[in-house]
Amino acid sequence: MKSLAPLCNLLLTIAVSVWTVLIWDPASLAAMLAVQIALLAYAGQLRKLLKGLFGLLMVAAFFSVIQLPFDVAVPIAVASGLKMMVMTVAVLLMLGTTRLPSLTAALVSQVKIPYEYAFMFTSALRFMPDFIAESHAVREAQICRGYVQSRNPLKRIVAYAALVEPMVLRAITRSETMAMSLELRGFGGARRTFTQQIAFAGRDYLVLALIAVITAAVIRYR
Amino acid sequence: MLEIQQVSFAYPGHAPVLKNVSLSIQAGEFIGLAGRNGSGKTTLTRLMVGLGKPASGQVMLDGKPAKDGGPAVMARSVGYVFQNPDRQIFRDTVASEVAYGPEQMDWSDDERQAAVDDALAMTGLIEVAQAYPRGLARSFRQRIAIASALALKPRLLILDEPTSGQDAEEKKQLMQLLGKLNRQGIGVILVTHDMEMLLEHTRRTVVLHQGEKVYDGPTQELFADPAHDVGVWGLRVPDVAAIAAKFTKITGAVRSVEELAASINQQLGGKTDEKPGASV
Amino acid sequence: MDAVQFEDFSYHYPKTGTGLDQVTLSIPVGSFTVLAGANGSGKTTLCMAMTGLVPHFFGGSMSGQVRVAGQVTTDRPVSDIAAGVGFVMEDYESQLVALTVFDEVAFALENTAVPAAMIRIQVAEALAAVGLTGLEERELSALSGGQKQRLAVASVLASQPKILVLDEPTSALDPEGSEELYSLLAQLNKEKGITVIVADHDLAQALPHADRMVVMEAGRVAFTGTLDEVFDRMLTEQVYDSAVPALRRLKAALETETRKFSPWTSADEAVAEINASLPPMRRLSLSA
Repeated sequence: MKSLAPLCNLLLTIAVSVWTVLIWDPASLAAMLAVQIALLAYAGQLRKLLKGLFGLLMVAAFFSVIQLPFDVAVPIAVASGLKMMVMTVAVLLMLGTTRLPSLTAALVSQVKIPYEYAFMFTSALRFMPDFIAESHAVREAQICRGYVQSRNPLKRIVAYAALVEPMVLRAITRSETMAMSLELRGFGGARRTFTQQIAFAGRDYLVLALIAVITAAVIRYR
Repeated sequence: MLEIQQVSFAYPGHAPVLKNVSLSIQAGEFIGLAGRNGSGKTTLTRLMVGLGKPASGQVMLDGKPAKDGGPAVMARSVGYVFQNPDRQIFRDTVASEVAYGPEQMDWSDDERQAAVDDALAMTGLIEVAQAYPRGLARSFRQRIAIASALALKPRLLILDEPTSGQDAEEKKQLMQLLGKLNRQGIGVILVTHDMEMLLEHTRRTVVLHQGEKVYDGPTQELFADPAHDVGVWGLRVPDVAAIAAKFTKITGAVRSVEELAASINQQLGGKTDEKPGASV
Repeated sequence: MDAVQFEDFSYHYPKTGTGLDQVTLSIPVGSFTVLAGANGSGKTTLCMAMTGLVPHFFGGSMSGQVRVAGQVTTDRPVSDIAAGVGFVMEDYESQLVALTVFDEVAFALENTAVPAAMIRIQVAEALAAVGLTGLEERELSALSGGQKQRLAVASVLASQPKILVLDEPTSALDPEGSEELYSLLAQLNKEKGITVIVADHDLAQALPHADRMVVMEAGRVAFTGTLDEVFDRMLTEQVYDSAVPALRRLKAALETETRKFSPWTSADEAVAEINASLPPMRRLSLSA
């Protein structure tokens, strides 16, 4: 999948999700999941995600089991758990094999999503680790002033002000700096270059054809 | 009062940040903590206040394992002033901001009020007690963070790079404040990259290098003894110390430009009056 | 030729009313200027006026004008000015907006529709200049503080500016990191002829590299000139004199009407000259 165009990867992920919605046969879904995990291993992503996958499996199993008391047939309950797994793994697979900047480039220049929206998405990802680090730092600073998490939920919410307010204020000053940075660097100009390789090649068309065939088959024989 | 015993620390899946560090801190000391970024300074000071647990070894406060209390309890003995005061300021007035810590303690209202008043007085913030903290200059916000730590009546204050972003005058005032607190018996640990400040204000310096304690002794000796290759540890000999080291017979041990100038002038002669700049 | 020219420039922020008053200042092409002054004296505002952020981004009232490379800043959009003036802000971490090192450095070029092939060349050059070659695919969150700082420099160098402005770049760096940054700036200044302007509190760091200095006081330019001239005036007129590096304060404290020293840039120079002026019997035999 690494060698596919980012848009092709995205379409593949969407197609897999559509198939999963349509298919209710646990065996087929399990087979799909097996293929996905093999692909993850092939892309060298399996080891990194193993823990997460296990957690996901637990959630899916739980999701399946809690449906049973509501008179849901066992195969359907199992299938719904599997559907959840397959869809999530499909997204993981895409994120693991596609560079995000390439994906934004594809979304902007091929799907014609305005660049500002795509940028919003990537910058959210860019600031997520900083935001998490910041929240740890604020928490520790307040702990050193005696902040303790109360057991009483109401008190707890009030106490959160000590954590939330510094973070909000920091986010505001930070966004101002970022806005200046964007202005300095010509963000939002009329024309933009994308340096990413996003063009479709032969194999991308092949995959698209395959997607079409499988989708038709799934609809026909489900 | 604070005893670090053979402490090691590592983040999961990474090389150790601290390797078998031992450190004994007496009441009322003024200690500098130096070393490169990434040498383990912050990790060490975090362990001193109970943020994080050592992989091996332990931190003892007054002879008892610090882990028994946890950071919120440790804060009553060891105050921590973080580098960026904006990460903790969240209330509308300076006084209420400083009162946050005491409010978390099981003190009487009178005790709380007294603690806040004392902290504001010690840090010279009484005049701005009702001001909006975020509207004040950074040097004031820094003082608010110090006052917030002092309000819990700690015996030791740890400051992480308190002078970063401060101008020369603000630095001077901050160091005067820390000197005053120290004279009142509060121990100070100053984490800093500023070598001149180490020389002028600290008696003892601890140097960390790649997670190990490589020096622990008088600050002047750290710079005066050519056997210490401070460059390897990412430090720099302050110019005052470098010059004094050559003229040591004349100057003896000096800590500041003023002391150095005074002793050299005695030898040079012809300089009796105060010249502007010499009074700094 | 002046890289930047302030002509009786006054500016006040809309909210606080603080800012700059009647600043007249010339920064010569190819100079390395250090900008000093207490917090709140106007250093950051001065930096922002050179990049057009003041007044474009903030609004507020202004009079007089600023010329950058001969052109008046109010006549051009910020991104246009910024292509010639690289600005590394005090909070440089928030200045970085992309996910990976390559994308960060390419960002301004992509925004201004530079052809992709050209972008690759300029990004490679900029990364090489700051010593980050090989980290193109690295995510920003995996960089150290010093690396982020150099990345911020690379991201503005990619546009091949003639002027580089840095606002308090060393406040989070250790002594080695600061020295490396100053060496990098000095190299860009000498080898590429880039005019460098650095606002900093620690003037001792700048001493070996900078050739000009501006001291701000309460929104005005207090002094401007060579470092020696300005240090002398800071000490004699007692304006922000505590910021003068230790070597120069020592020199001033030892000098008299009849006894003068040369402008020392290292402790060794100071030792040699002081020793020579000591009474012979007190003199040291200074061996290497």
